[in-house]
Amino acid sequence: MAHIPFSNEIKTLRFLAGEMTQGDLGDKVGVTRQTIAAIEQGRYSPSLEVAFRIAHVFGKSLEDVFRWQDDIP
Amino acid sequence: MSFREKIHWVALFGLIVAFGWYFLAYPWTIANTQQGVWTAVGMLIPVTIIFLVPMIAGTVFFAIRTPKEANLKEDEREKTIHLRGTHMAYYPLVLGVWANIFFLINGIGFGYSVNILIATLVVSEVIRVGSQLYFYRKGA
Repeated sequence: MAHIPFSNEIKTLRFLAGEMTQGDLGDKVGVTRQTIAAIEQGRYSPSLEVAFRIAHVFGKSLEDVFRWQDDIP
Repeated sequence: MSFREKIHWVALFGLIVAFGWYFLAYPWTIANTQQGVWTAVGMLIPVTIIFLVPMIAGTVFFAIRTPKEANLKEDEREKTIHLRGTHMAYYPLVLGVWANIFFLINGIGFGYSVNILIATLVVSEVIRVGSQLYFYRKGA
C-alpha cells in the first residue's frame, strides 16, 4: 500500500456538518461508503474530481479538506 | 465490507473449492490419454456448478440484505481495484501460456497441456480475486 502524502479533515467536517455519516457523504459525492472510509483513513487517494466534490459538499476549499504533509518534499 | 467485496470472497471460495476438487480428484495416471481429456471435459461440468451455485446464491443473498449497495455502480476506487487486480493476473496468465507453448514444443501430451491451461486460468483468477480483496482491505 502506497503512503499517501496528505492528511484530511473529512471526519471533523462530517461531525461539524450535523454528524453526517460516511454513507450520506458518499451519496452526495457519488462514491460508496467504503470509499469515503478509505479516504478518511488515508488508504485511498481520491481523484481530483472526488476531492473537489467532497470539499464542495462542506462548502470548503480543497486545502481546507486536504493538507499536504509538510515533511514530504 | 462492500457488496462487491463480499462477492469477491464468495468467488475466491468457489474457485478454491471447485478447482481444488478438480485437481485433487483428476485421474492423473490417464491424463495423457483420450479418456483423460474427456474426463477433464466431464469434470469441468461439476466444477462450473460448484463455482456458480455459491456465486449465484451469494449474490442473491447479499443483494437482498443490502439492495442499495447492490444497485450502486462501481465508483473510482472500485474501478482502480478492479484494474489493478486484472493487471496482476496478467503475469501468471502470460507465464502459463508461455510454459504451455514450451511444453508443447517439447512434446508434452495433449492431456497435460489442457490441464496446464486450466491451472494457468485458475492461478490467474485466484491472483486476480485475491489481489482485489487485498486492495479492498489495505487500500488501492
